[in-house]
This record gives sequence, C-alpha cells and structure tokens, in this order.
Amino acid sequence: MSLIEKPLRSTGRLPALLLGALALWSAAPAPRAQDARRSDLATWEHCIVTVEVSRKQYDYYQPWGQGTRRVQKAGLVAGDREILTTADELFDRTLVRLQRGGRGTWAEGKVVWIDYHANLALLTTSDTNFFKGLRPAEFGRAAEGLDGGLQILRWREGNLEHRRAEFGQVTVREGQLSPINQAVMEISSDIQAAGWGEPLVARSRVVGLLTAQEGRNAYVMPAFFIQSILEARRKGQYHGLGHFHFVWEPGRNTATLAHFKLTGEPRGAVIIHVPNRPDAFPQVLKPGDIILNIDGYDVDMQGDYHDPEFGNLNIENLAVHRKWAGDVEKIKIWRDAKPLEVEYRLPRFEYTNSLVPYAVRDQEPEYLIVGGLIFEPLTDAYLQSWGADWKRTAPFRLNYYNHDEPTKARPSLVLLSQVLPDPYNIGYQDQKFLVVDKVNGRLISRLSDLKEALRQPLEGTHVIEFVPGDTVRRMVLGAGEAEGAATERVLSRYNIPAAARIR
Amino acid sequence: MKKLITILVCAAWALTGRAGDPEKSVIQILVFAQPPAWETPWRSEPVRRQGGSGFVIQGKRIMTNAHVVSWARQILVRRYQDARPYVAEVEFIGHDCDLAVLTVADARFFADLPALEFGGLPKVRSTVVTYGYPAGGEEISYTRGVVSRIELEAYAQIGNRHLLAGQTDAAINPGNSGGPVIQDDHVVGVAFQGLQGLENTGFFIPPPVIQHFLKDIDKGHYEGFPHTGIRLAALQNPAYRERLKLPDNDLGARVDAMLPISDTTQALKEDDVILQAGAFPVASDATILYQGNRLGAALAFQLAQAGESVPLRVWRQGREEAVSLKVGPYSGDKATGYQHDGPPRYFVYAGLVFTPLSLDYLRSFGRNNNDTAHSDLIYELYYHRLEHPETARTEPVVLAALLPDAANANFGMRSRALVDRINGVRIDKIDDVIRAFETGTNTHDVIQFVTDQALECLDHAEAAKANASILKNYAVTKDRRL
Repeated sequence: MSLIEKPLRSTGRLPALLLGALALWSAAPAPRAQDARRSDLATWEHCIVTVEVSRKQYDYYQPWGQGTRRVQKAGLVAGDREILTTADELFDRTLVRLQRGGRGTWAEGKVVWIDYHANLALLTTSDTNFFKGLRPAEFGRAAEGLDGGLQILRWREGNLEHRRAEFGQVTVREGQLSPINQAVMEISSDIQAAGWGEPLVARSRVVGLLTAQEGRNAYVMPAFFIQSILEARRKGQYHGLGHFHFVWEPGRNTATLAHFKLTGEPRGAVIIHVPNRPDAFPQVLKPGDIILNIDGYDVDMQGDYHDPEFGNLNIENLAVHRKWAGDVEKIKIWRDAKPLEVEYRLPRFEYTNSLVPYAVRDQEPEYLIVGGLIFEPLTDAYLQSWGADWKRTAPFRLNYYNHDEPTKARPSLVLLSQVLPDPYNIGYQDQKFLVVDKVNGRLISRLSDLKEALRQPLEGTHVIEFVPGDTVRRMVLGAGEAEGAATERVLSRYNIPAAARIR
Repeated sequence: MKKLITILVCAAWALTGRAGDPEKSVIQILVFAQPPAWETPWRSEPVRRQGGSGFVIQGKRIMTNAHVVSWARQILVRRYQDARPYVAEVEFIGHDCDLAVLTVADARFFADLPALEFGGLPKVRSTVVTYGYPAGGEEISYTRGVVSRIELEAYAQIGNRHLLAGQTDAAINPGNSGGPVIQDDHVVGVAFQGLQGLENTGFFIPPPVIQHFLKDIDKGHYEGFPHTGIRLAALQNPAYRERLKLPDNDLGARVDAMLPISDTTQALKEDDVILQAGAFPVASDATILYQGNRLGAALAFQLAQAGESVPLRVWRQGREEAVSLKVGPYSGDKATGYQHDGPPRYFVYAGLVFTPLSLDYLRSFGRNNNDTAHSDLIYELYYHRLEHPETARTEPVVLAALLPDAANANFGMRSRALVDRINGVRIDKIDDVIRAFETGTNTHDVIQFVTDQALECLDHAEAAKANASILKNYAVTKDRRL
C-alpha cells in the first residue's frame, strides 16, 4: 500500500517469457480471428515493425564471463523516423535490427533515446528506405477500448497477428524495469509469449503497449503515460521519473486519524516513514502528516484519488502523472491538527539509490579477484543469479539487505561471493556470500574501497572482516608476492581473463 | 540443512542368538498428547495419539525419548506380551538431548522386569540391534544394522543443538523412538530420529549422552547440556597462523565469535586459539578425536556437566595460556528452537492477540513457513541478535491474530506482524505489551510495527470496554498467560 525504500518487484519471469517468445516466433503460422477486418489490418501494417535485439547476458556468479541473448519485440512508428518500443531487453545491447512488413531484409537500428525506469525507448535507422510507406500510429485513450474491440497486434511469420483482448482493470503497480508505481491496464487474451512492446489497439488507435504477461493476463502501459513522457521529452521537460520517497498507509483506521486530530470524514494517507532524500532538497513531510490532496486530487481513505481516465487509482500514480523528477507537487496535508500546503519536489529515481541496487544497466559486472577470493558488489542483478524464483531461493540474509537503507558511511555493499580454491586460500575454500565489513581496518562499501585497502596490508597480511552474523567473521591472508602469485595462478587455472573489473 | 524427523514408534529387534532376552524389558508406550496452538496461543491442538518405545533402567524407571512424551495428557505403558496398560508419569525430561525418564506408580509393573545395562560407545562398523514397537504391527520388532558413523547431529526435538549421535542402517521407523539399541546385551543407544528422504538411515542417542543425562538428573532436576556459545573456526591458512605466531602444525582452532554468555566472554577473547579442551587436543579444523571418531570440538564442552569448568589450553597473543571455562546450558536462543517447557505466553487486548516470536510460532504457518512468513520475522528471529545484539529484543513479540470486533474493525494490520512500540513503549518482551496498554492514559492506543513500518491506533475507551466481550465471544478463557 505504500512506497517503501525499494518495493518488491514482480517475480523474475523474463527468461521464461523470452524463451517462449523465441520459440513461438518461429513456430506455426499465427491464427487469425474470424471477425478481423482486413482494411484495419492494412492500416496497422504500416505502423508496426519488428525489433530484434541482440545483447550481452552477464553471469554475475562468474562475472568475468558472459553469454549472448536475442529477442524479438514489436515496435511502433511513433513520429518522424522514430520507432517506439519498450526498453526491456535493450540494455547491454550489441545489435538492434528493424524489419518492416514482418519479412524481408533487416535494417540496423539505433537507440536515440531510452529510459529504463519508464521502460520506453525510441529507435531509428539510417536506412533511408526503411520508413518509406510507414506512418505514425495514432494514440488514443484507454477508455476507447473498455467497451470491447481491443486487439493486440504484432508481426509473426510474415503476417500481422491480431488477437482479441478483454479489458480487466487498471491498477497501480510497479514498473517492469523499476519499482516505480504507475497505472497499468490488465487485460486478458489468448495471445502467447507476449509482453514485448506489442501495441494494444482500439478503434484504429493505440491505447497502450504490452509490457508483461502471466498466463492469460497481460499488462499494458497506457498510452496516456507514454504520450505524456514523449511530449515532455520533446519540450525538454522530462528529467526522468520521480517518485514519492516516503512510506504511507491508507487512512482507513478512524482511530489513527483521530489520534492525529483529523476532523471531518475519514480520508487521506498517513505518512509513517520518511527516509533520507537521495538529493539535497529539504524534507517537507514527516511521519504523522496526513496527505489530503495532491495537485488538486483529493485522497480518499483507501489512499486513492479519482483519475479522470481510469477512475480510482492509488496516489502513487500521481508521482508519474504528468510530473517528473524535479517537478513540484503541491500537497495539502494535515499536521498538528491544522491543514497545511507544502511543495514536494519529486526526487529522481536511480537504481543506485538503494543499498542493494535494483538493477545494473549497460555496464559489465564489477569484480575483484584476490588470490582466488571473488569480491563483487551486492546487487539485485547478482541475486537474480538464483533464477526466476530468486526472491525465495537466494540466500535470505543477502536478500534482506534490500530492506536496509543506504547511509553515508555505507552507501553500498561488497560481497565475498565465492572462493576459487588455491593453496594460498586454503582453509577458506567453502566460504561464500559474506558481506565485507572492513579490510585492513578500512570500511568497505565499494570495490574501489577494497582495492585501496589491499594496498595497505597489516604486518604483511590482509585482515578481512565480515559483517557479524551466523557466518565466519574474519579471514587473514598473506599479502605481497604470495598474493600476486596466487592471483596469477587462479587466473590461469580457472581461465579468467583479468583479475579485476572496477569502474 | 539436513531435515531430521523424529520417529514415533518402536524399534525392531533382530534376533542375535544371544543368551539374554532384552525384549522383556522393552516397553510399549502409548501417549495422548495435546500440543499448544502457537498462532492461537490460548488454545491447544486436538488430542493426538502417538506411540513410542522405552526400556527399563535401574531404579524402576523407564527411559524413552523426550519427544515421545512431550505435551502428554496421559501416558500408558505396556510390558512385553502383557495386555494390561499401566499409567506412567514423566519424572525427568531433557528436551535438548531428547531423553526422558518415566515412573509407574503401580509396583506390579516392574515385577520380574530386569533393568537393561548400558554399554559404551559402539564402534563404527559394529552390529547393533534395535528393539521397539514401530508402526505396522502390535508386537515387538527387531532390526539389525551396522553403526555407520558417529557424529554431532542436530537433535530434532529442539532443532538448534548438535549433540553426539550414532547413525545406523537398521530400519528405524515411527514408533521406534525411545527403544534401546543393543549390542552384546547392553544398551548402546536410544533410537530417536531419522533423516527425511534417506532410507535405511536412523539415528540413536549414544551412551555418553545418556550417561550425561542420568548424571544430570541425579541431583533431582534436569539442567541440560552445556552450550558455550563459542563459534570455532578452522585455522588452516598459513597466513593466519603466522599472524597469530602459531606454530605451523595441525593444532588449534580459532575463536571466531561468541554469544553473550558471560562465563564464555570473560574467559575467552576473539582470535584466541583453543589448543586443547579438557582432555582433547583441538585440531586445526576445529575437531577432536574422541574414542576413535573425529568430531566437532563442541563435544569437549558437552561432556562436562552444567556448572563444571573445562580446562583449556589457549594460544593468546603469541603464547600459551591455561584458561578455565565454566560451562552451562544457554537459553538465550530458545526461541530459535522448538519449545516444550510450556504453552506459549500471550496477551489479548481488544481482540489483538500478542505472543512471542518463536520457531514454533513460525511453524504454525505450515510447511513452507519460511516462505510465507514476513522476512522481518525471519530476520528478527535468526539474525538480529547475532548482528546487532545491542538492539536485539529479549523476546520479540508479534501480533499473532486479530479477533474481529467493532472495536478493532478499522485496524489495518491483521496478523503475523512484529511489534515495535505500543504507546511509545519499546516492546522488548510480552510483559511490555501489557504494561504499555494498561498504563496508557491517552485517548488512543498507538501500536507501531516493525513489519511494513505500519502504525495503527485503537480508541482506548472502546477497546477497554470491548475487551471482556471479545474474550467471551472467542472463548478465550484468560486474557493472558505469562
């Protein structure tokens, strides 16, 4: 019900979806709905393209290695020589190709703008012929499809596949590539392996892009959200997504509202925790404040406001409703038995705002090898090495660091992820998943701290201390020549190209 | 972690052709038990019938497993090939070592029943026979097996202690629990648990543990096995040994961390190296050699009785020192193990049911309790005390349930939430909950949770007024058990 420092994200279902997408893309020809109108389809054939992305796939457990991955997505002609698609899978890209008409040659694509937090990207190509005959799609409102006629479109095996979809509801949930809450349309459809930017259309207009699918249910980023970001970008007013950096709960409990001396009907959102801002702006809210109105929208006792397009929505959506990072929200609050209006500047969301970064994009994994000891930053990308069910299967304690807030002294964490056995590290071969506290007496938050600390051994040894817990607290290793020789030996024996990759 | 299961049944007893007839002294035990309901702590679970085994020992007593008679409402015992049940009572029970001693008031029960004698720790690879009354039949059963290994094992009865145990490939099934493991007409073990998922693997409690228990109860009550709280780390890396100026041999394990047990923390320091514990040299992998078995060094302390001191040879700051470590049982981590000493503490106020956080409580969520429990509960129970002892709570308290009533109808937090403060009072134990509510003078009671950082209020007057009727409506006979 509330924004926490780093809310839970949806389960990691991407690999399964991706495999499904690749498999089905080259499978049987797409079935066609009996009631499809060919004239409508002919229109959409000029608006929808196929986007193929090849990218690096990092192995965070062995961060010096990497694989490759390829996925096909849908793209939508959105403007002059612009293809709109979701940002999903465009990170760590090595090649982007575009194809029109579902067949024929591919043109090399180029990303001209991408926002992972918003899950949107604009592509283009220098191929002068590519855009001939293509025309921008027109966006519409979700309401246009609520009474039926919703279709999902994509190129498949050379034909434009169109699948009927039924509208379910609009909810506010975290984004596909960020924990920022936003309004999402839930639809159901027989389409398979979707969620890769396929347009959802109604009455010749695009009402949203598919971002994910779970069984028959698919999630759609509404056109309103997309349009407002693209428009703000064109005007130079878009500075990334902001968010409400505080924790609140609905004002359902009348005793709680009475405790804070709110008079009148039960309403509002009670702020219960305000973490330190990630920027330099002052805090204007504090625990015990009751939010009554945000930018003209009254907040009801469920923590909802009435959205003109979608009806009742969670107020978290107001942080991304035509407002962006750095913009000011006028918030009416109840404080100390009196109403008060404050200006809340939306902090910019960054993956690195949290102690365990939510994601790492377009960067190779960092690591440092010291005589077989593998040190890495603790990130969600690392935890996702445990697979789709990583929130349940990754080591509990490492996962639980997601609940902790970063501090100035410790903005991030470094992990001893494993030990590659070598005579130098004998006795420590079984140690793994240990968060480093200090090395040679110096506090460690980043690999660069570790590298620096290793330059100053203590009496010819490295003293490595781990965060107290139910695992080993301390290791001592030889420094100097023995360390260097061991590292070289490990690199050679385990076929590792370099001892470190540190930004 | 290996998942151990206790075995409520009797042992089988392979015929060995010996002259003795131990089966006459093997007892069938039938227990009607009623454990508490941890999530609704004023209630008990339905009465369940469970079977086990036991055997007669000196002093007209029956030895069995603690888990056979835990939460017993009635214990019936039967002699070999005798239909008549006798009522038995628990005289002593040691949950950490999963042993219990029963008495039978009716003197006829022990007539012509010889006490079985105890032997020594059986050798690995030697043959043993397990006697008991396992499921699948009514008569006594015998199974022959080989002692596969002797190790420190987690005792499933409480779950968070490792004591000496023997492993055998003799079939040990539910009902074997408490039955004797015999070798050369002597008891060399008490069958007590199996390993889920592994066939032909059973565990027995060996004589050193049994004798320790018997010696402990000699004084008229049971104290338990020592737990020093020392986490010993292997000391095999040459650089670490060199830094500690320790000779380059295979002796000595390093004190990596200690629980806040004053006898331990006063006697030892972190990075002390224990060279010898009692009569046992401690090897660099933190083991000792005990009767031909290489075992965890914790055994050296467990062999002592509570209150005794274990002489240590310690390497400290470059030289050897003699240290005496007084040992005893430790209850500071009891919430992380299964508890059998009594039903859970609780307090009900305005339909809000508060109880201490414990492993038993989490287990009441079902099989995948670690997945369904909020991570705050897992962290608080297992990690907080180790990582930040300065802020750890003595007895973390959860809102276990909410009994719906008009007085709490708007209360958003329903259950399974860790309590932080009530009316500004930090909740360190359940007594604080009572104090916070009963001394609250404000119009509203303010309850703050660690879970989701939630804050909820109650109208104090309405809550106080509704309290009695809520207890009555939900058949809660008392608002507290402390």
